[in-house]
Amino acid sequence: MTAPVEVQEPAIEEVTVTDKPWIVIVWNDPVNLMNYVVYVFQKLFGYSRKKATRLMRQVHEEGRAIVSDGTIEKCEADVARLHAHGLWATMEHPS
Amino acid sequence: MPKWKRFRPGPDDTLVVSLAEEELGLLRSLPAQLTEVFAGADDDPARARLFPRAYLDPTAESEEAEWQALVHPSLLRERLDALELITATLGRAEPVGDWWQIGLTPDEAQAWLGVLNDTRLVLGTRLGVTEEERELDPADPEAGGYALYQWLTWLQGDLVDALL
Repeated sequence: MTAPVEVQEPAIEEVTVTDKPWIVIVWNDPVNLMNYVVYVFQKLFGYSRKKATRLMRQVHEEGRAIVSDGTIEKCEADVARLHAHGLWATMEHPS
Repeated sequence: MPKWKRFRPGPDDTLVVSLAEEELGLLRSLPAQLTEVFAGADDDPARARLFPRAYLDPTAESEEAEWQALVHPSLLRERLDALELITATLGRAEPVGDWWQIGLTPDEAQAWLGVLNDTRLVLGTRLGVTEEERELDPADPEAGGYALYQWLTWLQGDLVDALL
């Protein structure tokens, strides 16, 4: 018979799910105009023309781009603004 | 229809848009068509394109439902307000030579931008447009819709250039 081994509880690591931000993704679609998408990124996020153009190109060429991140509340608001402007946007939490 | 710059800067941050009579008529017909789509069935792909999901993850149904309940009324309200605003501006078009002109405040120009884009999203969804341009036979039942789509594409592109 083996004496029961005292199991030492591993210390629970303090991992908070809020560490990683949520992300907002804009997807490519065949209708929205390239200059319109640049305009919307500048207007909604205050991005420079250069950054807005780079993100638009990424959406166009790679099919999607992360356009903003932050708390779940911020991302929900960003997605709503993007939808109000007719862009196809979704949000997710990278795991 | 002739394609020169239709949106030009006017006094006090306004944009002056110039339209031919038949173009004015086309634009006047858009609000009623969009209102119908807004009020239409949930499973209409054009309506779904205007009001898409926020959560791509299909397991996030409760989050999605909460988000929709929170934002959908204001997203719809904004779109209806834009329709009212564009209708009001179209009502004050003034004849200038062979053309009709309307001075747009920044808010009114935003309403135009939204209505033009929403109409293109609806038409684009209905017509199944891709990034490739189509050559349609004039007898094709979709030829009229596609011509309208292309004209709105051009007009919206011109408006964005004026705003950028």
